[in-house]
Amino acid sequence: MAQTHSAARSPRFLGGLFSGRRWRRIRESATAYAFVLPAFVIIGTFGLFPLLFSVYVSLHRWRIIPGPYLGLDNYTRALANLAYVMGLWLVALLGYLVGKSLYDTHREAQEHEDRPWGWLLPSLVTAVGVFQFIRFSVLLLPEILAIAEKVKGQARSQELFLGLLREAWQVPAVQSARTVALLILLAGAALAFVFSRYVNPGVRSMGYYTRFIVVFIMVGSGIALGWLTLNEIRTAYAEAAEAEETIAIWPQVLAMSGGILALIVAWLLAKWMKFSGWTLALLILGGAILAGGLKLLADAGQTNALEIALILGGMVCLFFSWRTWHGIRDRQSTVGLVVWVVAAIAMMLAAWLLIAEIPAAIRAGSGDWWDGLLNTVYYALFTVPAELALGLFLAVLLFQKIRAKGFFRLIYFLPYVTNPVAAASVFRVIFSSRVNAPLNSLLSLFGVDRLMWLDEPKGIFEMLLPAADFPAWLSGPSLALIVICLYGIWSFVGYNAVVFLAGLGSIPTPLYEAASIDGAGRWQQFRHVTLPLLSPTTYFLTLVAVIGTFKAFNHLWVLRSGAALGTTDTASIVIFMEFNRNTRYGYASALALVLMGLILVLTFINNRIAEEKVFYG
Amino acid sequence: MVSKSGAAALLSRSRDVNAGQPRHVDLWIIVSYVILTLGILIAVFPFVSMITTSFMTLGEATSRTLIPAEIQWQNYSEAWVGGRFSEYFFNSVQITAITLVGQVVFCTLAAYAFASMRFPGKDALFSLLLTTLMLPEAVTWVPNFITVTWLGRIGPFPWVNNWPALTVPFMASAFNIFLLRQFFSQIPEELWDSAQIDGAGHLRYLAQIVLPNSRAALTTVLIFGFVGSWNALAWPMLVTNSDEWRPISAGLQHFLDEAGSYVHLQMAGAVITIAPIVVMYLFAQKQFTEGIATSGLKG
Repeated sequence: MAQTHSAARSPRFLGGLFSGRRWRRIRESATAYAFVLPAFVIIGTFGLFPLLFSVYVSLHRWRIIPGPYLGLDNYTRALANLAYVMGLWLVALLGYLVGKSLYDTHREAQEHEDRPWGWLLPSLVTAVGVFQFIRFSVLLLPEILAIAEKVKGQARSQELFLGLLREAWQVPAVQSARTVALLILLAGAALAFVFSRYVNPGVRSMGYYTRFIVVFIMVGSGIALGWLTLNEIRTAYAEAAEAEETIAIWPQVLAMSGGILALIVAWLLAKWMKFSGWTLALLILGGAILAGGLKLLADAGQTNALEIALILGGMVCLFFSWRTWHGIRDRQSTVGLVVWVVAAIAMMLAAWLLIAEIPAAIRAGSGDWWDGLLNTVYYALFTVPAELALGLFLAVLLFQKIRAKGFFRLIYFLPYVTNPVAAASVFRVIFSSRVNAPLNSLLSLFGVDRLMWLDEPKGIFEMLLPAADFPAWLSGPSLALIVICLYGIWSFVGYNAVVFLAGLGSIPTPLYEAASIDGAGRWQQFRHVTLPLLSPTTYFLTLVAVIGTFKAFNHLWVLRSGAALGTTDTASIVIFMEFNRNTRYGYASALALVLMGLILVLTFINNRIAEEKVFYG
Repeated sequence: MVSKSGAAALLSRSRDVNAGQPRHVDLWIIVSYVILTLGILIAVFPFVSMITTSFMTLGEATSRTLIPAEIQWQNYSEAWVGGRFSEYFFNSVQITAITLVGQVVFCTLAAYAFASMRFPGKDALFSLLLTTLMLPEAVTWVPNFITVTWLGRIGPFPWVNNWPALTVPFMASAFNIFLLRQFFSQIPEELWDSAQIDGAGHLRYLAQIVLPNSRAALTTVLIFGFVGSWNALAWPMLVTNSDEWRPISAGLQHFLDEAGSYVHLQMAGAVITIAPIVVMYLFAQKQFTEGIATSGLKG
């Protein structure tokens, strides 16, 4: 933009339009677009469009063919009232992002002495245009989809298709939406042009323009989502009143929101006072356990061993949290103490509210989906730490004067690169429930009864301690899921080892030298040199591993056995089943979007932890 | 990767430090070898078990036999023909070939434009493409299935149960574009200037200068493409319901479901499925480990 601006000032403006340099630039742009186009069409159709399209599908009843609009029903079916909480908190998040973006703009403008606020107007117009365009697309989409129905039974020809396409294009509602969108977008572009040329020229002006467009789009989406959520809650109340039932959506939504708010307050206080990791971890743990114990006590009305243990445990945790916080401070400070107490109370409040409400919401939601999430969490918990620790251990061993290092690496990496279906099929044989299967044969040598392995739905804690009477949620992952975790560990340890090995190689050797001169032994060197300097690698691998477990599908599918009664179905398997076997397209889309949100949140949390904990040397 | 000299330097130094107690070091090294070898055994055991079982009779495979009494070569021919692995194998070869050609052509062009051409909206477009990296595959199943069915019903040829649904969605990926762009932007700009003086256009410069200088990056793209295409399971299961175009991973899964008790044939099928990948890995080991380890792709 700055370039065109200077061209406009030059006296040879019209001549410059067709001068060699300018023409070359236009030609180069055209070539570049031609180069990018095929890739963009493919990624756009099968990578970007699906995101918007699955939002659209998830708002409909859609079983093979599109059905009526349902609003958030697909989400509430899976998550019950949590869906409303998520909707409202998404609105809050958007609000936060808008505020942050505006504040950043303000700071940047001050720094450069710009006056960016005039740009709000063209951005607003353009953003409205974008929303009109989305409205146009939403109106056009069903018409386009319907073409497939219309050509049924007719001879497929290009004329027929183009005719139907034109028909869809010319549906009155579509046509008017298109005109409105086009006019507003053009008006926005014209305004932006005028602004950039006459009113508010500057190098950063286009940056402000696009940033404000994003801000307005977030504002618009926030309003739309908030309206949708509130409307859904109202409809639910109206329906309940009609059926003469009483429902309590608002109390639940408010309680859960209060819990989340208290959690955020505790977190902010901890950040403000620079609590150490231990202080914070113990604070969270202690607050949660104490609140859980108190809650159980309040519900039961009489004291049991469990409640007393929980309350005592929580108090101990809180005490140590206070001790670690206290130990770090050099001077006593009353403000710090008050902040710590407030944070602890906020934490307990959060735990109390969430413990009270979330199980109810889970019970009201879809059992399959929550089981799937629980299995995913189990799968992550039982693979990621083991996989990272073993990988690091092997890498440290390999990072010595070892012969045939390349050979070891070659073999360790093999399970990672092979075909997961084939590798998992061997695990199916090894961990088969037959008496003569390899592992059961091995067990029989030691006089152990055969195990059902992949066909075993019983939880492992329940199997280890058969005498204890476990409630269902405490019996742990099923043995079948544990076998799948073993597969996961087997296939990813080598990958982690290879990446850790690369990380070890980049640690400067003088550090070890200095450490050993200071008298540090092998373990101390590992603890105080290797681990901190390896933290970027560890962080990267943790992120990859956690996200990988949430996305995992192939081996889970191969190792899935009907006899395990769905105890091995993680979130992606549940989505696949809902889509492929139950043909609930809308519901499956909603679940997939929730899974994506969860992955994004995990990535975000991981990033925040990494910001504070990773040492980049 | 590990700098060997750095490791060696570290080791020689640590030996100096521990010079007073050499026996201790030896013991530790021996323990390390034992653990590492144990690791090898665990890593390899499933493969060994796969191969031995694939040479057994059904009776041996379902009993406590470790080594087959007589090698049953016919298991392979039975899986190859009766288990239809020949079809699956060649389907996969075709699908992989088509996908790879598309990927190399489209991703190279786009990456080149992003690396060394100037056009308005470049950064916005690039970050738009990169957002697709955050999408889990599960989100794309439903919408892409609807899209592909629709395309097949309005177009001249079907997409489902046919090669287009299995190849076209994977002919370009933001990840590959990103990878190649990183590589292309390291090529010095002076080369382009001199190529221009010689009268070369962008396409010729790309084909004659850039590509020959980017073999490593292209190899990585090819390896990822090959492994991804060969190992894909969920999407092929969604868009194929007959053997005509079923690729090998989905074929093996289908065979596992159909021939539930024929363990020996299943293992023969698994060996057939795994062989091309393992052979390729053994030949291009360095590219595999470096490509995957540095870019952090998780299958």
